[in-house]
Amino acid sequence: MVSVDFELRKKVMDAHIKDTLKYCYQCARCTDVCPVSKVTDGRYDPRQIILNSFLGLKEAIFNQESNFNLWGCTICDTCDEVCPQKIGLTEVFAVLRNMSITMEEGPEYYTSQASTIYDSGKAIPMQTAIERRRDQLGLPKIEPPNIEEVQKILNETNLNKILKK
Amino acid sequence: MAKVDEYKMFEGCTIGNRIPFIEASARKVFDKLGIKTSEGPFACCPDPVGFNSVDHSSWLAMGARNLTIAEAEGKDIISLCNGCFQTLKAVNHELKHDEHEKEKINKILSSIGKEFNGSINVWHFVEVLYNIGLEKIKENVTHELSGLKVACHTGCHYNRPSEIMQTDDPMKPVKLRELVAATGATPVDYEEEMLCCGAGVGNIEEEPSMQILANKFSSAINAGAEAIVVICPACFQQMDTNQKKAEKQANKTFGVPIIYLTELLALSYGIKSEEIGLKFHRSRLNALLEKHGIK
Ligand code: SF4
Ligand code: SF4
Repeated sequence: MVSVDFELRKKVMDAHIKDTLKYCYQCARCTDVCPVSKVTDGRYDPRQIILNSFLGLKEAIFNQESNFNLWGCTICDTCDEVCPQKIGLTEVFAVLRNMSITMEEGPEYYTSQASTIYDSGKAIPMQTAIERRRDQLGLPKIEPPNIEEVQKILNETNLNKILKK
Repeated sequence: MAKVDEYKMFEGCTIGNRIPFIEASARKVFDKLGIKTSEGPFACCPDPVGFNSVDHSSWLAMGARNLTIAEAEGKDIISLCNGCFQTLKAVNHELKHDEHEKEKINKILSSIGKEFNGSINVWHFVEVLYNIGLEKIKENVTHELSGLKVACHTGCHYNRPSEIMQTDDPMKPVKLRELVAATGATPVDYEEEMLCCGAGVGNIEEEPSMQILANKFSSAINAGAEAIVVICPACFQQMDTNQKKAEKQANKTFGVPIIYLTELLALSYGIKSEEIGLKFHRSRLNALLEKHGIK
């Protein structure tokens, strides 16, 4: 039995600012140009995700044996560019990935990078060795960000809860 | 085109905190061309691939906070990185065009006494160089790189999605090629010019990422390229740091130097390779520099 999750449909439709998802006519131009699809024999397939999210087939998107179907996208934005229906595919994928994170299915790389940004304000915190190298290269000091401010706004967006901080 | 006296420099986490030698070449070239910049207490842009995938609202709020820092000084931002550029430009765009979202983000920013107004622009350094004019770029060339054949790789987030980025043609960008040609070097035509470097998928699986990279290298080398010129630190790292892995996967030797556009310009302006830390590249440049008589 295939079950349709209306909430998923609504969520994707609501968050998708261009609101063009329903115009996808499954021409597969997106998959044709997709570099990841090409090197994985179609194991990654953007057309399929668009169809599944339009139909609200939550089970076909989440809770898979591998989350490659959702996280395999390299976000090159080529599909966005060639889609004849101007569906912002990567925007839809971001909505789905955000959901995948709250369902605790997100890959480690992504949550740990977000956690570093929450802790230090930077995806790559400054190190003494690099500071020294900057000096040697005659570069100015990097002004550190106000971490208190960063954490305050990220608590407002609930990132602390999402990341279980 | 806005008339800008001074930009806020947005070097980004990767260049600033990991591979600062690229920033050194950028600053030296900017000096020669009279492009003025100043620092700001910016946080992570944040990453349009990583952080936006985790939580879109957090991505918007962090990006907006960075924009307000430049807004407070009434200065445009110059980015040295495709990723930072895409984030800051896309956040600026989304908040300018979506009143509802802007209100939501401004409510969050009010907790730190800030407000997003949408009053400044965000520029990729390639646009800034291009807008200065190819003539001026050429005027400073003291060491013409004639005979050097390079493959240009803009990377994805410089010009796509074009609806937002509006920098260049989305599938056939020209600005990088023309800037490269201004140094006397020759940009080659190669089939996979628009192919992504594959870094994004590498965050979850290495094999497809290395396969994409290997395909890119093969195509560039088959077209006669002696080096690949890039304008994004994520592409740079993928191509430079991971080149050995791609060689292993494809069972081929590429040995192709990866050069940032600002490094290429610096070399053509007679700036010494030690001054810009070229020795920090993994894919060695010595043979290439020697062949073309570059110091
Ligand atoms: S290219 Fe656009 S219309 Fe065609 S299948 Fe993909 S998303 Fe649907
Ligand atoms: S953005 Fe993702 S789905 Fe679209 S073409 Fe690139 S890798 Fe494929």
